[in-house]
Amino acid sequence: MRRAHCWPRSKRSSPLHDAKSEPAPIRRGAVSDQLWLGLGCTALAAVIALIWIPMDSGTGLIEVQRRRITLGDALAPTLAAGFIGLGGCVLLLQSLAAKPGEPAARLQRSHLLFLLRFLAICGLGLVLMRWAGPLAVALADPFVAADLNYRSLRDTAPWKYIGYLTGGTFIAAALMAGAEGRWRPRHLALALATSLALALLFDLPLDGLLLPPNGDL
Amino acid sequence: MGLTDYIWLGVLAVFQGPEAFDLFGLSVSITVLMVVAGFILGIVVGATPGLAGPMAMAIALPLLISAFGFTPDALLPVMGFLIGVMKGATLGGAVPAILFNTPGTPDAYLTTLDGHPMTRAGQARKALKIAHVSSATGDTFSDVVLILCAPFLAVVIEGYLDLPEKTALLILSLAFVASVIGNSVGKGLIAMGLGLMAAYIGTGEDFYPRLSFGTQSLARGFPVTTAVLGVLILGEVFKSLDDLRRDRHRPDAPKAPKPTDHAALSRADLRRIAPYIARSAVIGTAVGALPGIGSTLAATLGHTSGARRHARKHPDRLPFGKGAPEGIAATEAANSAVSGANLIPVLSLGIPGNAAAVFLILATESIGGFNPGPAVFRIPPDRINPELVVAFGLFTMMMLANLMNWTIGGVFMRMAGVMARARKEFLMPMVLLLTLTVIYVQDPRMIAICFAIGFGVLGYLMRRVGMSPLPFVIAFLLARRLEDTARQAFSATGGDAWFLFTHPIAALFMALAVVSVGLSLRRSAGQQRP
Repeated sequence: MRRAHCWPRSKRSSPLHDAKSEPAPIRRGAVSDQLWLGLGCTALAAVIALIWIPMDSGTGLIEVQRRRITLGDALAPTLAAGFIGLGGCVLLLQSLAAKPGEPAARLQRSHLLFLLRFLAICGLGLVLMRWAGPLAVALADPFVAADLNYRSLRDTAPWKYIGYLTGGTFIAAALMAGAEGRWRPRHLALALATSLALALLFDLPLDGLLLPPNGDL
Repeated sequence: MGLTDYIWLGVLAVFQGPEAFDLFGLSVSITVLMVVAGFILGIVVGATPGLAGPMAMAIALPLLISAFGFTPDALLPVMGFLIGVMKGATLGGAVPAILFNTPGTPDAYLTTLDGHPMTRAGQARKALKIAHVSSATGDTFSDVVLILCAPFLAVVIEGYLDLPEKTALLILSLAFVASVIGNSVGKGLIAMGLGLMAAYIGTGEDFYPRLSFGTQSLARGFPVTTAVLGVLILGEVFKSLDDLRRDRHRPDAPKAPKPTDHAALSRADLRRIAPYIARSAVIGTAVGALPGIGSTLAATLGHTSGARRHARKHPDRLPFGKGAPEGIAATEAANSAVSGANLIPVLSLGIPGNAAAVFLILATESIGGFNPGPAVFRIPPDRINPELVVAFGLFTMMMLANLMNWTIGGVFMRMAGVMARARKEFLMPMVLLLTLTVIYVQDPRMIAICFAIGFGVLGYLMRRVGMSPLPFVIAFLLARRLEDTARQAFSATGGDAWFLFTHPIAALFMALAVVSVGLSLRRSAGQQRP
C-alpha cells in the first residue's frame, strides 16, 4: 500500500537535492508526525533561547559600553532560535488544521536503525583510522634497532598510510556490503583500491597535506 | 579606465593567465584548461545517476584550493573549473534520462518522459542531439541575460541601498528562500533557523566564543566546508545508501536499443523545436534569477507550458510524454537556462540561489580577493578595481564553457552514456570516503570529521522529514554577514532599534519578507484543502 504513494523509482533515486527539493517518500495518515516535529522544534527553540543562549553567551541582547549602545552576542542566536520556534509553530498549526489522511513525510524506525548501524560503522572505522598507525609502530618497535614513535613517523611512508588505509577500507567495504545486503570479497578489493587511490591522490601531488589521522597525532 | 577596458582585461586574464602548456606555439592558459577539464568532468558526473554537479563541485573545491593555494591567481582557474562542472553537469543529466529512463540529475526527470520513448523507437541519437541543442541554447541565453543584468542590478543596489536596506535585503532573501524551497514554509523556517544557529556557534564579538560550552572544539566554530559538505553531500550519501539498502532487488539499468536514426538535425527539426526552446529559455532564466527556485521547477514550468502550446497548435503531432521531440526541447532549455541566471543574485547581491552557486561563493570566500556583491561593479575614477576584472573574467569563462557546450559537448555527451551503468552501491561509499578526506585536508582534526558526520546525520534527517537542506546551507553562509551588517546599521543609525522599519526601502523589504512567508502559508493551506 505504501509503495503506491511513493515517488516513482527513477525519481526517488535521483541525486543531490537541487534548489527545489524533492519531498521525502510520503505516507497517508502521518499528520501526527508533523505535529511531533512542530512540537519538538518549538521545544528546542525554547530551550535554546531561554537556557542555552543566556547561559553560554558573553554578552546579552543589547549592550551599553561607555554610553554606546551595541548589539550583544546573544541577539543573533536568539533570533535564529525564534525562526526555529516560528517554523515549529507553523508546523503545529498546519498539522492541527490538516485532515486525517493528509500525506506527510515521516521519520520511521527503520531510518533510525539505519543511522545507528551507519554511525557504528563510521565510529569503528574512525577508531581503526586513529589507532592502526600507532599500533603498527608499537608492534614494529621491538624488531628494529631505532626507538620508533608514530609522531615522528607520521609523514613517512608506509606508516602514514596505515591508519587511513585500514579505517578507510573498513568504512567503504562495510558500506558497500550494507548497500548490497551481502558480503563479497570484491567489496574489500574495491574499498582498498579506493582508499589507496585517494591516499595517493592527496599525498603525492599536494605537498604539506596530512592524511587522516596524521594531523592530530 | 572605462568599462570596455575592464571587459578586455577580464578576457586577457582568462586567456593570458599562467601558462599550462604550449600547443603549436600557442600558449594555453591554466584557466582555459581548467574550464575544459571541469566541463568534461561535469558531463561525466551529470551522466552518472547518484552524482550531481554540486557534489563534484563540493569535492573538487578543497582539492583545487590545495593545488592552487590562496593567492589571487588561483581565483580564475578554480572558478573556471567549477563553472565548467556546473555547465557540463546540466548537459550530462539528460544522457541517462534519454538512454536508460533514469535521470542523471533531478531536473532531467521530465526529459525521461519524451526522451526514453524516442530511444525505444530507435531515435536515441536524435533525442540526444535535441537535448544538446536545447540545453546549449537555454544556457547561452541565460548567460547573456546574466551579463547584461547583473552589473546593472548591482549598480542600482550600490547606489540606493545603505546599511539598513542591505540588512533588510538579506532578511528578505532568507525569508524568500525559506518560503519557496521545499513543500512547507514551516520546515523552510526551521532549516533556516538551524543554519543561522550553527553559524553563530563559537563566534561573536565578545572574548568568550558564544555557545561553545567552554570547549576548545566548539570555540573555533564550524568551518563552512565541514557544515556545507556535511549537510549537502554526506546527508545525500547517507540517504542514497539507505535507499539502496531498501531497493536491493532493483534490476540493473536496461540496455538501450540500438539507434537506427541519423544524428544530424534537419532544418525542419530545428524549426519545429525552436519556439519551445525560446519559450523555455525565457521561463528558465526568469525562474533562475530568483534565489532559491531551482532548475526542477523551471523544467516543470517549461514542460507544462510547452505541452499546452503543443496541444493547442499541433494536435495532430505526437503529444508530450509519448516521445515528442518538442518535450525534450522544452524541458532541457528550461533547466539549462537556470544555471546562468542563478548567478544574477550571486554577483549582484552576494546571495547564493542554488547549490551550485553555494560552492562558487564558497570558492571566493576561501580564496579571497573577490567578494560577490554590489561593490564588485564599481568603477573608481582613480584606480583599477581588480574585482571587476575578475567579474568579466568569470563572464568570459562562462561564454567559453558555452562555446565548448556547442562544439564538443555533443560528442562527450554521447560518450558519457556508459556512466549510467555505474553502480551506486560502490559509488556512494567512495564519495563518502572522498568527502571525509577532503574535509580533513581542509581542517586536519579528527573532530572535523566527526562534525561533518554530525552535519551529515542532520542532512539525512532533514531529507527524511521532507525538509530541504538548502535553506540551512544558504542561512549558514549568510549568517555572519547578516549579523555584521546589522551591527554596522545599528551603529550607523545611532542605536535605533527600529532601523529596519524607519527607512522606507528597508521597511518595504521587510514587508516583502512577511508577504513571501504569508503567501507560502496560504499556498500550503490551499494545498491542504480537499
